[in-house]
Order: sequence, then structure tokens, then C-alpha cells
Amino acid sequence: MKAEFFEPGISADTKGFWEGCKEHKLLIQKCDCCGRLRWPAAYICPECLSEKFSYKEMAQEATLYSYITVRKPFHPSVEEKLPYYVIDVELEGGIRMISNLVGAEGKLPKCGDRLRLKWEDYGGYSKPVYELED
Amino acid sequence: MALSELRNKIAIVGVGYTEQGKVPGRTAVSFHCEAIRNAVRDAGIDKNDIGALLLYRHFDAIGGDYDVTAFTVAEQLGIRPQVLSQETYCTRSWLYHVAGMLASGLCRYVVLSYGDNGRSARRSFVKELNKGAATDELAAYGDLSTMAKYAMLARRAQETYGTGPDIWKEIAIAQRRWANINPKAAMYRKVLDDETYYNTAYVTEPFRLLDATPNSDGGRALIFTTAELAKGLEQPPVLIRGFGSSNQPLSPYRLDALDSESAAAQASRQAFDMAGVSKDDIDACELYDCFTYTVEATLRDYGFFRPEEVKEFLSRERLGPGGEFPVNTSGGMLSEAYFMGLTPVSEGVMQLRGQCGERQLGSYPGTKTPELIMCGDNGAVLQSHVSLILERMD
Repeated sequence: MKAEFFEPGISADTKGFWEGCKEHKLLIQKCDCCGRLRWPAAYICPECLSEKFSYKEMAQEATLYSYITVRKPFHPSVEEKLPYYVIDVELEGGIRMISNLVGAEGKLPKCGDRLRLKWEDYGGYSKPVYELED
Repeated sequence: MALSELRNKIAIVGVGYTEQGKVPGRTAVSFHCEAIRNAVRDAGIDKNDIGALLLYRHFDAIGGDYDVTAFTVAEQLGIRPQVLSQETYCTRSWLYHVAGMLASGLCRYVVLSYGDNGRSARRSFVKELNKGAATDELAAYGDLSTMAKYAMLARRAQETYGTGPDIWKEIAIAQRRWANINPKAAMYRKVLDDETYYNTAYVTEPFRLLDATPNSDGGRALIFTTAELAKGLEQPPVLIRGFGSSNQPLSPYRLDALDSESAAAQASRQAFDMAGVSKDDIDACELYDCFTYTVEATLRDYGFFRPEEVKEFLSRERLGPGGEFPVNTSGGMLSEAYFMGLTPVSEGVMQLRGQCGERQLGSYPGTKTPELIMCGDNGAVLQSHVSLILERMD
């Protein structure tokens, strides 16, 4: 089941990522000069400071770095979605990002669990989420 | 210049308190001003000799308040410092500013202050939303609040080396016991026991509300000067024997939960080096404690215990009144009052002055008079850290 939170704030730097999401592609910037991957999205490379980049589509697999279970609402609109998991996932190249764990009812996640990418489509945007790889 | 040349060159000579906890009907700026006035009187300096006014952490004005700026505070104090500054997003740069301005001779007295009406006006720490709309991408995942970020790292630590609520409860209870002997502490009359801790619901599991610092109304201020100028003033000066500053500016979800090069690890190493002492010489710690886990992470990164020793080291008996390793002896932000770095640093000063009343180390049964107290100020999500080792001037 899907739980929509808030439509993401999208900046000039993150626009490319969210457009990739609409096509169900997890796009991470890769520096054209030194090859380094970067996230969060940024204009220049934190390694070599070049602004030249291409998008790399990331693999479906990820690892669970950590997770929290939100049990109290920090905004009234999330009350009906409680409890939910916010997760910190590790992708290839050491990329870490925030997402949600879905479909985990009756299961207990653990740091280090293997995850698989899924997409949730909402009006105006799609967002990447993860489920536990059995 | 070798960093060790700065050893004991800076002194803290004034501490200003206000009423604190739940103090309705007051503006945030009024607390800055009252705390600074009280610090000026405590030190016995002329307010017009204040060369620099540094305010903590700009917050949105709430509860009918007007915006707080360093201009306003200076205007209301009737002073014209050469330097006016205000911290925005919890980058803890104040210590290097203080040290630089004083060591260079550019300023004679530097004031650092905090003031907020966050308790009465119910300040929220959800920067991912502004009036219900996302300010960033994290809101799309329901990743709301500073608490969520710390809890994420704490969970990783929990599954890595076995810490968790059983340990964090010890920190909360130890600090509450200190608050229970501090009449100025917000939690002075509120005892905390195991049952209450465990019966409190999770907010962002693995954190409960009792793992988090509550908001406060009130203010605090410190006055810094050189060791030389400190000698003629009202109070026994407290010297900064060593200090350090470091940042790890990665987004919180990119941090290593265990990082030997964390901001706290680097800042503390610098402080030890400058002071020419080691952890074994430290008699007490006053540490930023936005969450119980923050205290654990700081003590761990400072080198006071190895992860596998966490259960043995972090106990209410050891950290609390009468224990062998006193931590946050005023009750800390968790149980005294939330004034960011000013909560721990001012308590370090007061303990070394011998002005802590019932909770005075060396007077309270089972404690000894401290010679060196280590203080830590943390900013954002373990991303900024300054560390100070304080000692009383002979």
C-alpha cells in the first residue's frame, strides 16, 4: 500500500533526479571529469569541482544502512500513515539516500538487509521506495 | 603559531542566568538582554567595553515576537560593539571567533548569548516543512524533524554495538538526578524512574520523548576575555586550557554512525593536544545533549569508552550525583534548560568556580573537587563540534 507524504520540494539542482523518477529511473549525477558519483544533487563535483556531469541510472539493489519507525506525527497529515519506516539506504558507489521501506508488515528490518527498488506514482511526481529482498 | 600557545590564554569571566523553563509573557530578545546584563554584572565589566556580541542560533520569531538580531540586542543594551554576529544553522564557529578576536587583541571582551521563548510559544524543529509544504526532498518520505535524523544514526549504533534504550535511559536518569538537586532546573521537582521511561511511547523509534531535550524559555550569556584582563574582575576566572573545532558537513543520512574522524573526535583531539592532557585527566564532562544518544556519541568519540564498553560506562551510578564520572551536572539541556552550548559551558564554569550549591562537585557526597572539566558544543546532526577543556586560574 502507498503512503503519500508531501510533494517534494524540487530545486534547479534536483530537477533532473525527479524527472528521472517520473520515468522510474533512479538517476545519480556522475562527474564527467573524475567519475565520482554524488548525492545529494549539486551543481559541482565535491571531488574535483567540475560542473560537467552525466546521469547514471542506479541498480535496483540496495542495502539498508539504518531505519527508524515513526510512531508520532510531526505534522497532522501523517497521522493516518503511522507507523511508517524512514530508511537510510546504501547504493553502489557508497551513495546513501533517504527513502521509505514498504511492504514490511509483519517483518522486522535489520541494518544490512538487502533491498529492492520500487516506484510509487502520485499526481505530479513518482518516488523511489524499497522493499525487503526475501 | 603553535596551537599550544593558545593554552590558557582565554578566560571566561562572566555568567548570566535568567529565569528558565516555562516563563510565559517574555520575548526571546528580552532573555538575550537580561542574560547579558546579568553576565556583565557578574563579571564587573563596563558594558561599553564589549567589543563583540555573538548571538546563538537565529530562530523564526514565534508567539507574537519580533525577529531577533544582534542589532536589536545591541540597541537594547545601549552598546556599539565592533563586531555583531549571529549564528544561523548551528555551525558552531563561536569559539574560534572568540579566540581569534581576543588573541589578536582586536577585542577586550566578547559576549556570547542565547535567548528564546520556545517553550511557551511551542517551537517546532521540523525544517522540512514550511506551512505544510515541503522545503526539500526529505518531506516526500515523511523524514521530518531533527529527532528523526539522530534516531537514524542511533539505530545504526544500536545494531552495531548493542547500545539502545536501556543505555539511553541511564543517561536520562543520571541527568535528571542532577537536575533534582538544582533548584534552577526545569525538572527540579520531577523524578525520572525506569518505569516512566519505558512507559513513554516511542516518537521516532528507537527514541522516546524522554530521549529528547524539551524547549525552554529563558536565556544565558557568557563573557570571555584574555587571561590577563581576567585577573582584575569580580569572579575567579576560568581558563580555556585547550580547545578544538571541527565540522563533518555531510548530510546526516551520509554520516558514518561510527566515525573515528567525526567532528567530535577531531575537536576533542585538538582540545586534548592544546591542553597537554589526556582523557584520564578529565574530572567531569558537560556536553551538548539534544538527545540522550548525543551524550553517548560524544563521550565515545572523545575516547572515554570503547563501543563494547558502553553498558559498563554509561550508568546512572557513574554519571549521576556521587558517581565517578559526572556528566551534565546541572541536569543538562535534557533536564535543566535548552540553551545550546551555553548550557554545558556555563555549568563547567560554575563548577570550577565552586558556585554550584548542592550539586557542587567536591561538596556533594562521593564527588571530588574538579580541576579539569571538558565541555562540548554540538551543532546540527553531529555535524559541527567545538570542545573546550576548562580549568580554574590559580
